[in-house]
Amino acid sequence: MPSFLKEFFKRNGVGMGSVMLGLVLFWTIGLIILPQLSMLDFSFRPNLPPPEIGGPKDVYTLENYKYLIYGPEGGSQDYNAVDLRVFFRTLVAAVCVTVFNLILCYPIAYYLAQTKGNHIRIFALMLIIPYWINEILRAFALRIIFGETGVLNNLLVGMGLFDTPFDFIRNDIALYAGLGYAYILLMIFPIYNVIESLDRNQIEAARDMGASWPMIHRRVVIPYAKPGISSGCTMVFMLSAGALAAPQILGGPSSLWFTQLIYQQFNDNSDWPQGAAYAVVLLVTCILLVLAIMRLFKVNMGDIGK
Amino acid sequence: MKSFSFLRLSVWFYLAIFFAYLLGPLVIMSVTAFNSPEFPRASPWECLTFEWFSALFQDERILNGIWNSILVGAGTVVLSVAMGLAGALMLTQIWPKLRATYYTIIIAPILIPGVVLGISTLVFWDRINRMLGLGADSFLSNGLFLTIIGQSTFIASYCMLVLVARLQRYDIALTEAALDLGATHAQAFRKVLLPFMKPAIASAAVLAFLASFENYNTTTFTFGEYPTLTIELAQKVRYGITPAISALAFIIVVLTVFVALANEANIRRKELVAAARKDATVEELESGRLRLPNFFSSNWAAVALVVVACLTIATVGTATVYSPQQCIADIREQKRLETEARIQELRQRRAEEAARRAAEEAEKGDDATGGTSTAPATGGNNSGFGNVFDPNALGGGSSDAEETDDQSSAPSSGGGSSAFGGAFDPNALSGGGSDGN
Amino acid sequence: MSAGVGVDLENLWIRFGDFVAVRDANVKINGGDFFSFLGPSGCGKTTILRAVSGFLEPSEGNVLIGGNNMRGIGPNKRPTALIFQNLALFPLMKIWENITFSMEIKGASAKERRKRADELLDMIALPGQGDKLPSELSGGQRQRVAIARALCAEPDVLLLDEPLSALDLKLRQHMRTELREIQQRVGITFIYITHDQGEALTMSDNIAVMKAGVIDQIADGKTIYNDPATAFAASFVGENNVFRGKVQQVMGDEAMIRTNRSGDLVARISSANRGKLKVGDDAMMFIRPEAFSLAPQGATGDHFVTAKVNHEEFEGNVFNIFMEGEGGKELKVSIPNLGQSFEDHTGQNITLEYETQNAVVVPAGELAAE
Repeated sequence: MPSFLKEFFKRNGVGMGSVMLGLVLFWTIGLIILPQLSMLDFSFRPNLPPPEIGGPKDVYTLENYKYLIYGPEGGSQDYNAVDLRVFFRTLVAAVCVTVFNLILCYPIAYYLAQTKGNHIRIFALMLIIPYWINEILRAFALRIIFGETGVLNNLLVGMGLFDTPFDFIRNDIALYAGLGYAYILLMIFPIYNVIESLDRNQIEAARDMGASWPMIHRRVVIPYAKPGISSGCTMVFMLSAGALAAPQILGGPSSLWFTQLIYQQFNDNSDWPQGAAYAVVLLVTCILLVLAIMRLFKVNMGDIGK
Repeated sequence: MKSFSFLRLSVWFYLAIFFAYLLGPLVIMSVTAFNSPEFPRASPWECLTFEWFSALFQDERILNGIWNSILVGAGTVVLSVAMGLAGALMLTQIWPKLRATYYTIIIAPILIPGVVLGISTLVFWDRINRMLGLGADSFLSNGLFLTIIGQSTFIASYCMLVLVARLQRYDIALTEAALDLGATHAQAFRKVLLPFMKPAIASAAVLAFLASFENYNTTTFTFGEYPTLTIELAQKVRYGITPAISALAFIIVVLTVFVALANEANIRRKELVAAARKDATVEELESGRLRLPNFFSSNWAAVALVVVACLTIATVGTATVYSPQQCIADIREQKRLETEARIQELRQRRAEEAARRAAEEAEKGDDATGGTSTAPATGGNNSGFGNVFDPNALGGGSSDAEETDDQSSAPSSGGGSSAFGGAFDPNALSGGGSDGN
Repeated sequence: MSAGVGVDLENLWIRFGDFVAVRDANVKINGGDFFSFLGPSGCGKTTILRAVSGFLEPSEGNVLIGGNNMRGIGPNKRPTALIFQNLALFPLMKIWENITFSMEIKGASAKERRKRADELLDMIALPGQGDKLPSELSGGQRQRVAIARALCAEPDVLLLDEPLSALDLKLRQHMRTELREIQQRVGITFIYITHDQGEALTMSDNIAVMKAGVIDQIADGKTIYNDPATAFAASFVGENNVFRGKVQQVMGDEAMIRTNRSGDLVARISSANRGKLKVGDDAMMFIRPEAFSLAPQGATGDHFVTAKVNHEEFEGNVFNIFMEGEGGKELKVSIPNLGQSFEDHTGQNITLEYETQNAVVVPAGELAAE
């Protein structure tokens, strides 16, 4: 037995140590690593009926990835314009949602972190309560508001701002509002946590030296809050790019989200390898994007989740 | 001073907008649960009704979904808290060189899109299932098992984060002290570490349950024959929405608020008690004569809790005796009158038009007037109906199609006049629908 | 109580990777002794304690408790109880539950435990405090609870890892006496770890002086103070003035040292080094500040030292004179204040005298860091 294992069992006892090690290995290898590898492997295989799996036709192929780029073989177009457009639109929209959320949440996070008093606890409670409520119901609530005959349209028409109801859903406004809404908490909390640990004296000192509020934020607060900001942005970006419920409920009929394509491949077309390939593309792209941005802003992986 | 108060004002303004964005949708959704139209909407207000709650409780699929969600949630809580605790303990004693890699692995599931987790879980266990030569109905391809496994993959990461925060404040000497005093490793864990971790384990369990309860992205690939509440809701919402869902949302909102306030009140009370104990003298403590603060004194959360409880009781009480039949009948009557008035108006206009056209024809006999946008007369009686249907078909848009589909029974069953009125104004569709019942 | 159970360390080596924390330690601790390991932080004394209590397995050699080899026996199976540096009281258990934790493990009833807790609380002079939480006690009270908790396990050997270091000076001095009293009452073996020589000297029957993983000397407090075996022991335990030089002549138990600065001086060879020190060896001579007395100006001989006074201070019970010494270190002299007149010598040369019995010679070696 290697010495570090021996040490481990000595520290935790054989029984407790085995349970602990077993759980950790099951989680990391059985639930995280192997399924991802399995999905990767699967994405390189043709879509075969079950009896033929493992048979002579079950060979590695790039077909599923080619499909995303070039579309079906013998198709009318050179490129799979529909899917590619959905893919890039998803990424761009996710970035927009992230930026929107950051702008919306930063002042709130700053306010909550730097203000003392009982009302802060009430605010915190009001902030958390919506997130104890089902994701689907949150989207549903927005759909009621943004619907053709929803509250917002009634209000706008009633006020005479619009003559006819505005179609928020078809114009994707409902979708962006819904995605932004869904991840507010994930943006606020990391930023809040960091700013809370910022010594108030630093801000006072900066004010004392005559810095304006925008200056204080640019030179003192934001550099300090960078790990929190990047952590929040990473989570919001990854989750909105990977969102499924909000696009399904709030998305317009003509505009799809990339996850919806994956969903269709799995549930409507029963083409698992194709769906897996799309999932791999989504995962890899998102990770690369996040890593690139983290590189750009010089933050570490270890800051995520703090 | 002036600019300061301006700053203050804008801060409060911003906060108001923010919380309106955050809470407004929930409030409006809750309101729609009590409005009588079949399409959930808060305005125009028609009748106070509780029928959507009874509709909810008669919905087999929703009830079954709740039960499945509880099953999945229980399994996920147990598995992910256990894995999260093991993962957190491992993080505190893993070989330093492996630490960063290990942390990246166990934190990654939070960032991996839920869709990807669902797919990878499905694909992997399907493969294991095949490798073991098991059939499609085996334990491993069971929706319950797959959903628990899939959700736990990332929920355990959340649990780990919660637990590790508490674990960092744990003094390993406490475990050593227990061992030194003769405890086995299991006893030291159970009697010393576990009680210390209990608050964090409770938070992690609540978090895990909520995360499991509301999960959609992962579950939608794995649920099999065990559709959870979220899956059922998503299917309902995608293919037409009813206020019964608002009713469910309202119940969840009230429960959530209730639990949150209870928790807050409890925390607040503990703080007050701790403060009182700290100030107390030894004599007071020993004699047990220490006056502990009253549950309600300076505890806003407790007061709010009681208010919510009273409101809930009042609502339920009202619901048992209240009957909206009269109001609904009134509304229906009013709508009928409105519709009739419109028909009258229309007939009148058509008559005028016909008269004018007749006059024009009589005068010139060639071109139709451009001012009215009516369709060219295709024939006697039907042209009026054509007028009404056309603008609606153009403006309704396909996003409305789902709603329209859902209540498609209305035009066919409602008879001539109601179909006519319904088409005239989409708002009246539900009225027409209820008319038909 | 019985005569107590002894502890033996035989050729004990403990390594962490390439680092040797304990090097070939051989210690025999008699049953019922109050035994201290004294050394600066990082010298390996806590490592030894963890090896005795079972948290560490020695790399080589054995730990014997009551003659039984403890290799492979876990901390929960050894007849030892450890008092941690930070006490490690269970924060969520009441005092009485803390004290009787070892009984809870064995499945004793709450009633039995309560009774035993009350007895022990009486013993540590905290009657009626059983229902409090550790956080509601003062530092000294927590200290005593930790002792009661360890004693409740009825160990044969009680191990204490600098338990007084968190207390303030006055309480620390009080607890020394108390610890010694408790030890004498229960009669079991105490093994005490400290870097504070005052604690070691006042409480211990025997002391092991440790330096960088090596035990320099094992003896009772008086011997260590008066008859140190090494330069380290001489410089670590109590204040001492060092004179470096070479052995010029060995005369029975005494030796003449040719010092670098103060000429030839005679001193007693420490008993551990008698017969080993030879002419020409590098040696160090140690004289305590209180062993000097003022001598007539300009007196010369093999027990006179002359040096220039840098500064002086009055400490109440003594006058301290700081003079130019070796290697940048000042020579310190303490003259007892017996009410005599005392003139200022700053800037002057003065001559000091000592009894050769009160100066000790050891082979040259590493000194303790200040």
